[in-house]
Amino acid sequence: MRISSGRRITPILGAELDKFRTLPLIRLTLTVTFILNIALTAAFTSVSLQETTGTQNTLNTGLASMGYLQAGFIILGILATCSEYTGGQIRTTLTAMPWRGVQISAKMLALAMITIPAAFIMAASGVLYAFIMLGDTALMTEIGTVIQTLAGATGYLTLTALLSAAVGAILRRTTPAVVVLLGYYFIVSPLTRDWLPGYLPDKAGYYMYTPPSVDAGNILTPMEGTGVAMLWTLSLMAAAILLYRRRDA
Amino acid sequence: MRAFQAELSKLFSLPGIWLAVLIGAVAPAVIAALDAIAEKEAIIAGVSTRLPEMGYSGLGLGVQGVIILGVLAVSSEYVAESSETGGGQQMTTSLTAVSSRLHFLLAKAGAVTVISILLSMVAILTTVSATHLILGEYTPAFEGSRLAGAVCYWTFTALLAFGMTLLTRNGIIPLAVLIINSSVVSFSVLLHKVTKLAFYLPDRAGFEMFMFTSGSAHTPGTGSLFESYLTPLTGGLVMFAWVAVLLMLAAIVFRRRDVAA
Repeated sequence: MRISSGRRITPILGAELDKFRTLPLIRLTLTVTFILNIALTAAFTSVSLQETTGTQNTLNTGLASMGYLQAGFIILGILATCSEYTGGQIRTTLTAMPWRGVQISAKMLALAMITIPAAFIMAASGVLYAFIMLGDTALMTEIGTVIQTLAGATGYLTLTALLSAAVGAILRRTTPAVVVLLGYYFIVSPLTRDWLPGYLPDKAGYYMYTPPSVDAGNILTPMEGTGVAMLWTLSLMAAAILLYRRRDA
Repeated sequence: MRAFQAELSKLFSLPGIWLAVLIGAVAPAVIAALDAIAEKEAIIAGVSTRLPEMGYSGLGLGVQGVIILGVLAVSSEYVAESSETGGGQQMTTSLTAVSSRLHFLLAKAGAVTVISILLSMVAILTTVSATHLILGEYTPAFEGSRLAGAVCYWTFTALLAFGMTLLTRNGIIPLAVLIINSSVVSFSVLLHKVTKLAFYLPDRAGFEMFMFTSGSAHTPGTGSLFESYLTPLTGGLVMFAWVAVLLMLAAIVFRRRDVAA
C-alpha cells in the first residue's frame, strides 16, 4: 500500500500523542516532577533567605532545582520509548505503522510537543516561586534575561528528554536505561567534573540556562552550549532510528 | 530454607543482578580512586584535611550496586510478560510455590541481605586496594569497626530499596529516588541546610556509621554535610529504624494486597 508521507505523518503523530496521553506512568511522572520541583525550589529559596551575605539572584534560586528537575525528564524520555517494549506493544505499533523511521520520528516529535510546555511551566513556576518569596531582597533581573534563561532551561530539558528517549530506544529496556542515564547524570558526571571536558551533553546543556553574567568562567556561551547539546541529542537520535530500522523488534 | 535457596537461584539467574554486582564491585573503587588522586596533591602539599575519609567516600557514594540489587529483586517479579504469552507475572508463580507471603518475603529479604553483605565485602576489598594503590604510604589505616559500618550501610540501603519497590511494585521510582540520593547532590545535602531533622534521614544517619572517625569530631551543629552529628551507633540505629519501619509497612501492604500490579 502506497501512501504519501505527507498524509501518513498526521495520523501517526496523533497516535503517538494518544499513547502519551493515556500512559498512566507519563502522567504520574509529570505530576510528581512538578510537585517535587516546587518543594525543592521552596527548600532552595529558604536556604537562600537564610544566607544574609551577598545578594540573592531570583533566577539562580528559581533554577537551582534544575539538577533534580532533569531527572523527571530523563525518566519521561525513557518511558516514552521503553513502554513500547513491555508486553509486546511494539508489535501492534509496527503492524499499524510499518514505516519505522517515520514512526519513531513522530514519537520523538510528539515527545517534544509534550515536554516543551511541561518544561516551560516547571522552570517558570520555580522562578516565579523564588520571585514571590524573595521579593525585594533579591537582585532584580531584566525581563529579557529571564525569558532567555527560561527558554534555555526549556530547551535543555526537552533535549534531555529526547536524548533519554533515544537511549531508551537503543537499550529497549527500562531498568538498564534508567540506571545508565541517572548513573551518568548524577554519579559519573558530578564526580568527574574536573577530568572530563565540557563538551558532554549535560555540561554543555548547563550553559543553556546559566546567565552568562553570573561568573566569568563560563566556557561556552548559551548558543554554543545549545549547539553542542543539540548535536549530542541528534546523533543519539540518528543512532536510535538507524538501529530501530535494522533490528528485529 | 528451600524458599531461601529458590530466591538465591532466582536472583543469580537475573542478568541485571550481574550488572549490579559489577557496578557494586567497581563503582566504589573508582570513586575512591578519583577522590584519592585529588587528595594526594593536598597530602603532598601538607594541607590535607580529609585524610580519614579516604576510601570511605567511595563506599559511601558507590552504593548503586546494592540499590539495583534491592530494586530488581522485587521489580523482576512484577514485570508483566508479553500479552502474547498470557501477560502473566512471575509473582503469581512464586506465590503459588511459596504460599505464605510472609515466608516468601523473609526468604527474599534474606537473599538480598546475604548478597549485599557479600557484595559489600568485595567492594571493601577493591576500594581498599585502589586506595592503597594510589595513596601508597599515605594510606590511612582502615579500622574494622568502620568497615563493619560500611557493610551495614550497604545492607540497609539494599533493604530500603527492597522495601520501597515492594510498595511501588515498579522499579523506576525507587531507582530514580535512590540513585539521585546516592549522588553528591543528595536531597539530604540540600535539606540539612533547612532543618536539622535532615540528619535523621536514612542515608545521612547511615553515613555516621563509617564516614567519620572519633578523632575528627567537629563542633556539632555547624551543619556541614561532612561533619559528625550522631555517634556511629546512633546513626546505625536510626538507619535501622527506617529500614525496619519500611519493611514492616511493606510486609503489611504486601500481605493484604492483590498480586496483580
